[in-house]
Amino acid sequence: MNTRVKKGLTYLGFLALVLGSVFLAQGVGGGRYQLSHSLSLFFPSDLSPSEKIILFEIRLPRIVLSFLVGGSLSLGGAVLQGIFQNPLVDPYVLGISSGAALGAVIAILSGVYLGFFTVPLFAFSMALFSAFLVFYLGKIGKRFPLEVLLLAGIGVGFFFSALVSLGMFLAGEDLHQLFFWTMGGLWNSSWQEVKMILPFIVMGAPILFSFFRELNAFLLGEKVAESIGVEVEKVKKQLLFVVSLLVASAVAVSGVIGFVGLVVPHLVRLLGARDHRHLLPFSFLLGGGVLLWADTLARTILYPVELPVGIITSLLGAPFFIYLLRKRKKSL
Amino acid sequence: MKEYLQVENLSFSYSRRKVLDKLTFGVRRSELVGVIGPNGAGKSTLLYLLAGLIVPESGKIVLGEKDTRFLSRRMWSQKVAMVFQEIPQNLELTSQEVITMGRFPHIGRWQREGDVDEEKVSWAMEITSTAVFSDRLFSELSGGEKQRVMIARALAQEPELLLLDEPTSHLDVLHQLEIMDILLDLRAAGVAIVSVFHDLNLVSQFCDKALLLKEGRMLSFGGVEEVMKAEEVEKLFGVEFLEATHPFSLRPFFMPLRRIKNETHRGRIHLICGGGSGSPLMRELLEAGFSLSLGVVNQLDSDEELARKLGIPVVQEKPFSPFSPSTMEEAYRLAQKADFIVIAPTYWGRGNLPNLDLAERLVLEGKAVLILEEALNPRLDYTEGAAQEKLKKIIEEGGEVIKDLSAYFSSS
Repeated sequence: MNTRVKKGLTYLGFLALVLGSVFLAQGVGGGRYQLSHSLSLFFPSDLSPSEKIILFEIRLPRIVLSFLVGGSLSLGGAVLQGIFQNPLVDPYVLGISSGAALGAVIAILSGVYLGFFTVPLFAFSMALFSAFLVFYLGKIGKRFPLEVLLLAGIGVGFFFSALVSLGMFLAGEDLHQLFFWTMGGLWNSSWQEVKMILPFIVMGAPILFSFFRELNAFLLGEKVAESIGVEVEKVKKQLLFVVSLLVASAVAVSGVIGFVGLVVPHLVRLLGARDHRHLLPFSFLLGGGVLLWADTLARTILYPVELPVGIITSLLGAPFFIYLLRKRKKSL
Repeated sequence: MKEYLQVENLSFSYSRRKVLDKLTFGVRRSELVGVIGPNGAGKSTLLYLLAGLIVPESGKIVLGEKDTRFLSRRMWSQKVAMVFQEIPQNLELTSQEVITMGRFPHIGRWQREGDVDEEKVSWAMEITSTAVFSDRLFSELSGGEKQRVMIARALAQEPELLLLDEPTSHLDVLHQLEIMDILLDLRAAGVAIVSVFHDLNLVSQFCDKALLLKEGRMLSFGGVEEVMKAEEVEKLFGVEFLEATHPFSLRPFFMPLRRIKNETHRGRIHLICGGGSGSPLMRELLEAGFSLSLGVVNQLDSDEELARKLGIPVVQEKPFSPFSPSTMEEAYRLAQKADFIVIAPTYWGRGNLPNLDLAERLVLEGKAVLILEEALNPRLDYTEGAAQEKLKKIIEEGGEVIKDLSAYFSSS
């Protein structure tokens, strides 16, 4: 019972940290709305109309979106690392990132306009397309051998990346936009994007959380997992499907943000949560928090110039990743 | 009692190679069946089939009167649990967390572990004595402890049939016996157990039945005493075995002999010795690459004791008794297989004189008989010349007197 209370408190503490982060982040930034006004979040009537717009239409959706994107990527990463039993796997192994980037390139270069959602829609569809292509190529009979799937992901990823490079080479004046997209960023955030990604998270995250026992069983190896009643191939398929939807939706609204999905699950493991029952929700919360802070840094550090948040996460994530690698060299 | 597990004409092929060919057998509850056979016999494949991890090519598996073709993965895991040969490394979960995984087939996706689950987990930990380290990380446990946790994990599934793939390999004797004790407890609790073993003596000592598997075919299946005979086991492994009776369990006990069937070796020597005269020769000849047999010697004779320790087949007579005709016949059959008969410098008395008759009989049949020169020393003769007579006769018939065995064999 005592441990249950302890775990409950840990969750509460994490949640409080996240809410605190949201509160602090909404106060940080250039422009007219400052940290000193932060408490106005709770008394919006005191704000001027322009401050209200900055707060409610620009900053808050961006904060919420960064949290949701970070959470989705980390959750996706944690699940995929669990399926593949490979610590170096990130949420993009199924070629989702290059697929999404290709979708964005197509949308931007072709000039097709289907309304506000054109680019995210193209990115999302191409991301899913590449994920299914990888599934299809990685399938042998009724099984999905993991190494084959990984290699298929790499192959498809390379091919699509080459197409993206080709697109960028031919892009001309659209290059800047493309470049930003492939770096990953949240500058376009509005409640629209939040609305687009939210259903996937509301549906997807609880489903993924519910697979914690299967993912734990994978730790014992696929054969053992099967013997205790996990339908390994079916579960793999289901999980890969849900993760693909979740990650594709995140990439569609934010571009390719690296390292969050790879590093955060490791961070959570370092903090002691190895049981997927806790690893998955904590990865979501911590991933959200990390991207939230990374984005806050991205938009303030060189103000008024804004960095693509992907640069920040890679700059912080890569050294940490190397540190992990060195530390865990023995067990890898 | 009806058989819980019934296997009928079970076959399995892997890319056109028949791995298992028409196996038919049954296992009751409270029965421990040991599966033995050489590498590649299909032992693990058999367990995988019984666990439902692979689909049979043809044939039928019935569990408690249910045809398993209609069993879902989950239902199968509620009935059958398996302990695998490989033990996961780097598993940074506590033992208890690992064992609790065994409850998987009994818990719904949106369900929490309940009191029943806790009960079953603590039952599993009690039987396997793993409760003491339930909070320790799996990766930090010793080999024997890890194996017990893996067994506990399987038990948490509440299996009616438990499958184990070489559960004792990589373990020292103490931990092997611990595992066997656990299996006997489970057998008493009504579980049907099928386990693959590397060590055939574990099967002959602890199992109720043995299943002998070679190249995918069932050589035999039945009670350990009926099935496990030296000839059968030799057929199985292609190695000669000496069968003895275990002094406590009275079950058959097998010692592999040095001689590998169908493989070149320097030859086989039957040694006539006693009273310690053969001991230096045994060591010397074994090291030189010969396989040996011995006899007749009396039990408690120092040569007899050493031969047993070295796993050399010995024909024995009761302590301090003269050699009976039936023992002599046994020695004759054993000595016939040898390429050479060597007579060691032994004290000759009325009791062991028949050994010289044996040598004479063999030399008359044309077998090479070597007599160490020292054996002719009259000082050794306590038969008033009878032994001397017989030795002389042997030499006349073609027995060769030599000074030194290793010199003889290195020159020939």
